[in-house]
Amino acid sequence: MTTTALPHPSSSRAAESQWAVETHGLTKRFEENVAVNDVELLVPRGCAFGYLGPNGAGKTTLIRVLLGLTHADAGTMSLLGYPVPRHRDKALARVGAIVDEPRFHGHLTGRQNLQILAAAREPAARDRIGPALERVGILHRADDKVAKYSMGMRQRLGVAACLIGDPQLLILDEPMNGLDPAGMQDMREMILSLVAEGRTVVLSSHLLDEVERTCDAVAIVDRGKVVRQGPITELLAGASLVVQIECSDPDRARALVSATTIGAEVVADSTGLAVTLPAGTGRDVIAEINRVLVEGGLSVYRLQEVQASLESWFLQVTSRLGESQ
Amino acid sequence: MTMLPDIGAAAPVPSPASVAAPLDHRGSWVPSAPMIATRFMELRRRRGLMITLILVTIGIPTVFLAIRLLLHALAPKTYGPAGGYSIYTALVSGVLYVFGFIVAATLGATSGSADLNEGMFRHLVVTGRSRLALYAARIPAGLAIIVPLVAVGFTIVCAVCVFAAPSTLNYNGVTVPVNLSRTGLESWAADHADEVICNFDVRIEPSTPNASTINAAVNSAPCGNGPPNVQQPSGPQGQPQLAQGQIREVAGLIARMDYSDYARQFLYPSNSLMIESGLWLELEAVIGFVVGLGLGSLIGQRTVAVILMIVLEVVLTPILSRARIPHLSNLQRAVVGLATAHLAPGGLPVLGGGGGGPAGGSGNPGLLPESTTVAVCVIIAWLVGWSILGAWRMMTRDA
Repeated sequence: MTTTALPHPSSSRAAESQWAVETHGLTKRFEENVAVNDVELLVPRGCAFGYLGPNGAGKTTLIRVLLGLTHADAGTMSLLGYPVPRHRDKALARVGAIVDEPRFHGHLTGRQNLQILAAAREPAARDRIGPALERVGILHRADDKVAKYSMGMRQRLGVAACLIGDPQLLILDEPMNGLDPAGMQDMREMILSLVAEGRTVVLSSHLLDEVERTCDAVAIVDRGKVVRQGPITELLAGASLVVQIECSDPDRARALVSATTIGAEVVADSTGLAVTLPAGTGRDVIAEINRVLVEGGLSVYRLQEVQASLESWFLQVTSRLGESQ
Repeated sequence: MTMLPDIGAAAPVPSPASVAAPLDHRGSWVPSAPMIATRFMELRRRRGLMITLILVTIGIPTVFLAIRLLLHALAPKTYGPAGGYSIYTALVSGVLYVFGFIVAATLGATSGSADLNEGMFRHLVVTGRSRLALYAARIPAGLAIIVPLVAVGFTIVCAVCVFAAPSTLNYNGVTVPVNLSRTGLESWAADHADEVICNFDVRIEPSTPNASTINAAVNSAPCGNGPPNVQQPSGPQGQPQLAQGQIREVAGLIARMDYSDYARQFLYPSNSLMIESGLWLELEAVIGFVVGLGLGSLIGQRTVAVILMIVLEVVLTPILSRARIPHLSNLQRAVVGLATAHLAPGGLPVLGGGGGGPAGGSGNPGLLPESTTVAVCVIIAWLVGWSILGAWRMMTRDA
């Protein structure tokens, strides 16, 4: 069922280190529940990668396994080319991550919390605290206790905690949670700037619009299994084509289009018709629909191709999964 | 959000070779100095905990002694001096010993569970630093707090007990000068014959020289509050009245009998006792902290760990140290409180005041017998065992 534009894991041995994250057959069980199910994931370096899935799909569990926060039951994985858990210390030295809601010592200031984390990293990490706080926009509140921080500020502090390690790979679990629209915009810009600096950002989220605006590639996970992965543009190219039609007689139009051999799925809605065409359908089919309607004596007021979005594609994929199961 | 280009180089995508891990021995189990320093800072900034620790280790003895100083200053005839040997032993073995252990355990349990409860454990694990090093960093950091606190509290107790000690010794209800030699005590007794004969312990054996004379003196002494403290074999009563010179001589004899007991009376603790007591209290605090740290890390909760430690110290240890449970005496000897009680310096009553007094805590007849070697082994086993348990849980716990 999985379709991927990325090379198959077995053919990527020579280029193994090209991947920021690489997993093969990764599995994590909680008793009977398989939270991560035989995951084959390849995240290229230097891109923003979205890890999408509905609630309970196993997104956070996979991240926790990757970071060594919990152990895997089966499979292999590597971060930045270092196999983990064997070289976990070397791999994580250049990884920053937010997992779940970022929480800190509330009785300490933001700066003091970062000092604790910097002390566990290399000595140079201490020099990065100030710039990291400034970069995430909370330098002016750095000496306030974290207990007084809003959720959005804690998210920013979490990103600052990632940045003090000068990471090559950032793994951000739902980083937009708790952010207002301006904060989300800031976060989006920061992720893009991090990618522009050559870092890899893995973004776990259910906010599809944000992911589409931020990420270059995505993987969709459902019930612990990666069901699709690849560059967004390529994935969306495989999505169904939807054409919105407004005309003088929608019922007759529906009958006319359904009678053709183009294999369209036609649904009448409040504004007219929604014609869903199979993936890969050429634009000449749209012209053919128009011709059929006009020759049928109908007045066509609007005929518009709707751009496939990640959200619509995600819903298509997940609905197909639901149908198949 | 301000964008600064100075975090990492705004460079092309680096090749894997250029992203080698920094050489900071991140996988080593030995914590770095900054890790210990920031751990210390994290604990020290817990205002409520620090206030509690200071109140218990320093505040309680200080307030107690301050009140005694004040009362003695206001009404010296009603209230005795604030310091002295008896106050010292009461505060050291009754307050600092028990409460020092409990506050140290509280600090340890906090240190062992705070990261987990407050969500920092996950951040720390993601740094790639050895979990064992993360655990080990807490030990010196916590000890750097609790050891000085106990030392300050103990120093205050020592200072008051020495400098505000009584100037005269109350021996069997009689005010006696201190540090008298045997001859000096006999001479003083002759001058205070009635007080000595009426109040000092008199043990007359059939073999005691001049037993009949002593008996006569005792029986003829003008003691206003009943008979003197006499232990004597039954014999003929109705001794003749003695001359004043004979009474002085009998008082000297009684003083000679009591001298060894008198010589063990102190106005204030000796230097050696204070040094030994200080080290003993610090040992107790170290044990409390290390065990609390291990238990806190094992359970992942501060409250439960602290309650268990209090139960151990206040309930289980006194019971298991004194009860003679058939077939379980070796198990009882594994209780760390019993082991530390056996290491108590001579001159301190231990475990709730049932102790040996000036004769020495190690000879405390109320405690289950245990050799010093066994006691030391038990303490080492507790320190190592709980450290291993706490570290193991930290290394295997899901973050």
